[in-house]
Amino acid sequence: MKRILLSVLGVAAVTVSISAASAQQYVATLRGEVDLAEETMPPPIPAQTNDDLRKARNYPEQPPLIPHKIEGYQIDKNANRCLTCHARSAVEDSQAPMISVTHFMNRDNQVLASVSPRRYFCTQCHVPQHEAKPLVENAFVDVDNVLEYLKENEGGSD
Amino acid sequence: MVATKAGRVVATHGDAEAEVNKGLNCIKGYFLSKIMYGADRLTQPLLRKKDGVFDKNGDFEPVSWDEAFDIMAEKWKATLKEKGPEAIGMFGSGQWTVWEGYAASKLMKAGFRSNNIDPNARHCMASAVVGFMRTFGIDEPMGCYDDFENADAFVLWGSNMAEMHPILWTRIADRKFSHPHVKVAVLSTFQHRSFDLADIPMVFAPQTDLILLNAISNYLIENDAVNMEFVEKHVNFKKGAQDIGYGLRPEHPLQQAAANPDSGASEPITFEEFAEFVKPYTLKMAAEASGVPEERIEELAKLYADPDTKVMSLWTMGVNQHTRGVWVNNMIYNLHLLTGKISTPGNSPFSLTGQPSACGTAREVGTFSHRLPADMVVNNPEHRAKAEKIWKLPEGTIPEKVGAHAVLQNRMLKDGKINCYWVQVNNNMQAAPNMMEEGLPGYRNPDNFIVVSDAYPTVTAQAADLILPAAMWVEKEGAYGNAERRTQFWHQMVHAPGESRSDLWQLMEFSKRFTVEEVWPQELIDKMPEVAGKTLFDVLYANGQVNAFGLEETSKEHANDESEHFGFYVQKGLFEEYASFGRGHAHDLAPFETYHEVRGLRWPVVDGKETRWRFNPEYDPYAKGEGWDFYGNKDGKANIFALPYEPPAESPDEEYPFWLSTGRVLEHWHSGSMTQRVPELYKAVPDALCYMHPDDAAEMGLRRGSAVKVISRRGFMETRVETRGRNKPPRGLVFVPWFDASQLINKVTLDATDPLSKQTDFKKCAVRIEAV
Amino acid sequence: MFSRLWNWIKGLWRTIARPSIHYSLGFLCLSGFFMGIIFWGGFNTALELTNTEKFCTGCHEMRDNVFEELKSTIHYTNRSGVRATCPDCHVPHEWTPKIARKMQASKEVWGKIFGTINTREKFLEKRLELAQHEWARLEANDSLECRNCHSEEYMDFTRQSKRAAETHERFLVTGEKTCIDCHKGIAHQLPDLGQAGMMKPQPTEAQIVAYLDSLEELGAN
Repeated sequence: MKRILLSVLGVAAVTVSISAASAQQYVATLRGEVDLAEETMPPPIPAQTNDDLRKARNYPEQPPLIPHKIEGYQIDKNANRCLTCHARSAVEDSQAPMISVTHFMNRDNQVLASVSPRRYFCTQCHVPQHEAKPLVENAFVDVDNVLEYLKENEGGSD
Repeated sequence: MVATKAGRVVATHGDAEAEVNKGLNCIKGYFLSKIMYGADRLTQPLLRKKDGVFDKNGDFEPVSWDEAFDIMAEKWKATLKEKGPEAIGMFGSGQWTVWEGYAASKLMKAGFRSNNIDPNARHCMASAVVGFMRTFGIDEPMGCYDDFENADAFVLWGSNMAEMHPILWTRIADRKFSHPHVKVAVLSTFQHRSFDLADIPMVFAPQTDLILLNAISNYLIENDAVNMEFVEKHVNFKKGAQDIGYGLRPEHPLQQAAANPDSGASEPITFEEFAEFVKPYTLKMAAEASGVPEERIEELAKLYADPDTKVMSLWTMGVNQHTRGVWVNNMIYNLHLLTGKISTPGNSPFSLTGQPSACGTAREVGTFSHRLPADMVVNNPEHRAKAEKIWKLPEGTIPEKVGAHAVLQNRMLKDGKINCYWVQVNNNMQAAPNMMEEGLPGYRNPDNFIVVSDAYPTVTAQAADLILPAAMWVEKEGAYGNAERRTQFWHQMVHAPGESRSDLWQLMEFSKRFTVEEVWPQELIDKMPEVAGKTLFDVLYANGQVNAFGLEETSKEHANDESEHFGFYVQKGLFEEYASFGRGHAHDLAPFETYHEVRGLRWPVVDGKETRWRFNPEYDPYAKGEGWDFYGNKDGKANIFALPYEPPAESPDEEYPFWLSTGRVLEHWHSGSMTQRVPELYKAVPDALCYMHPDDAAEMGLRRGSAVKVISRRGFMETRVETRGRNKPPRGLVFVPWFDASQLINKVTLDATDPLSKQTDFKKCAVRIEAV
Repeated sequence: MFSRLWNWIKGLWRTIARPSIHYSLGFLCLSGFFMGIIFWGGFNTALELTNTEKFCTGCHEMRDNVFEELKSTIHYTNRSGVRATCPDCHVPHEWTPKIARKMQASKEVWGKIFGTINTREKFLEKRLELAQHEWARLEANDSLECRNCHSEEYMDFTRQSKRAAETHERFLVTGEKTCIDCHKGIAHQLPDLGQAGMMKPQPTEAQIVAYLDSLEELGAN
């Protein structure tokens, strides 16, 4: 059953690849049309996005991106700049989103009184964004869109 | 955990039940769902053509799999006929699944009879492997990740775990913050994110880790901190050969000058002689050479010296990518063996690995040019005979000569000695050192035919003649083995797009194109007449073992494209044949099905039980007697090596005044070929940068953002200056990451290797910085 | 002994108290005036000399620790190239507080001579205390040195990020908080604030409940 379903979107939803019918000299998309032996002027260092606008997550488990700049933020054994606004006790003043409840769980999923030490280094999962345009589009489709597609095309479910 | 809907991966999250990460992922892991959906996914083979036929200088045109394999087989056959098997080569990686690596190794070593197969683990783990073999006689760590919850001190000898092993780093942070007595020491040639947790931060002058290690050995001896009982019972002392060269081309002046090039020889010495050997390495001397204050070195030495402090030493590329990397591995073990701090919970010299299956595939399966499965080697006649017996092949099938390693393969391509070359699951044009002098001329040498299998059009694919579209990750059933000897399986969840096929399918399908007569000499066939007229596929894969399990055994809930194609349970057959190498030889793997039910098991798995601490009879069924049994060596003892400081291959001078170190960043896997295609990860760290000290920049009239050329004797690349990023180099050193396809720092690096492990030193060469 | 010293002082006083024989009053007044200028100039020059970054970073304690850290911050390099030097933030600009701060600094000279923070380790150990002094000073003077450049009166909130504008509106304009309350650690690394410390051995919720239960039981008795 599932095997049949697997192939439903397999071909349909995958986007068109670069290998269209024509011949091409350059394929390494991330480099653009530059010979491997050649160098090009590197792009300027882009600024960190600082618009404070939250982005939709690709799926619920995705850690939210940081919608502001964090240049020079200190996160070390002495201090954690992120917690000064996002800690449970700080959000009243800062009006920043509180760190999620999963961060209060230890390795055995026991809920702790405060943030679990294994979650201390925020930037391992949460990253700011830069004002740079992606070199390649990504054709990922989130679950809502896939379900909608299924409803329209099959009326079926998984 | 992967969630799928209608043939698409729609979500990933950490598995709360998994022992390693307990529900956590790093930023890359959380975005894993998107790595398969880069819009430029390859879906058809592409061949360089002009006027409808293959032309090395032609443009890429889509072709069918048949046409692709036709031209490949034609080139392979012509080369085999003209030059023999040594002109055939293959390059893979620790991203091959266990069975893919096994199938590739078998195809090369037994099928084409060439040992010119190497994984990119050569760039990554080779020094660790040789270090293990020299000290313990058996590969891979004796401890496991449980050590993180038991140690009192963590010493990072050349590893930026905060960025490169973020999940394990959470376990160190957890341990340290929950237990205030826990100390963390971080050593590096520049300050990086792991220093954020360091109690003992040490930025040392490149290559002086050799001095620091000997100084600590000396400190232990002079302060009566040696565990004499342990040392007498379980340790041999040896003095290693010195002045062993730098793995450069033989005509290079540095190679000519070496007294004992490539020598791993050693002679037995006594404890007293060892003590005498390290005596000159005083704390004062170490402080002067390394630039680290004497008190701080002593503080570190005390961690090892205190019998009540359980120490976990950790290392990766800072140690392994080192012209004396094997030595540094040996010398770290020295500290643990002098103090007896080994193979007990929390006492653990732990060599970390980079790739998902550097251990499980590259090392255990034996995809190195000198290896066979289960730690066996090609230049040992007994090992070859054993492999030939298991593989049911005529005696003498596997060649004796050690094949070409990664760096040598590129040199042989350039010299026209390897003419047919197949690269799978990695991006070696971007990853290998000295691209302008070796890699690129090698691939573009008109005598050579280069095939690259990949999911995306990488820099390496750009340098190829034929590109084959590959399936990735959950588009196939797979197995990986990690650094704590844990083997883990996954099922196929979705189909690969378009005509892309798994590496396993490609290898096995290609083997059908050859009869044994086309690749083997007649005298070999005569030894086993029943193979006559058969294809390599028949001999290697339809051998009654690999095809022993029917389709009815595959999972009913999951697809299995390869098995359906070949008509038998390919993955199980390959795994079981492979597992027969290690069972009963301290590399025991559990039955195939078990791994689909559990969250991985740590080998040796004996009587259904995994092994957490090897060499310790309390935990390891192979260890006999009281206390410790280093059974990898015949006498049951581990080796302490007396090894000196020797200078690096290239140091800064007036013309090239800076050290260059290269490395990775948290947000991208190695060459960025997958992560650069995830918009969130790309926008987190879009481009490579040249990290340097603000005073160095100011002195040259440069500033943050200045466009510069990083120039070495071998080539140059262009990038921008960063003076206040996450890495803070000391004066005189610059750091450039290598993930960026349009800023290739390996145009600049030096292809000097550790002479024993053949692993490149990507952390040290001399460069000049110039404004563009 | 004492009587000899007393006699000497008495002699000195007599000389000073006696009117001048050789010089006119005018000359004496004038020369006093000029001497005063020279002295004052010298004093001020010395004061200004010690009020430079070059002077501050002459000591390795400053150069290798706090100054090194400053280099990677926005107060060192930034968009417009207006930068802060050590005294801009750490020495008051008005005369009286400046002299007071300078007198305080004599303690730092003492520390320099005796090597109180002459290694990185010693510096880190003292760091919290040293930082607290500065924070206390800035809290007491309503972040005067910040405001020398960043006057709230002349801030254009529309040129700030939304987050910053809102926060400034709420806390700075109302006077509820002063700059240093929120902007600690912008020019140098923060000392151990115990943020990580608050992560030290923690009870689980279950343990807390058990503890509260045990309290209740005690209370019932």
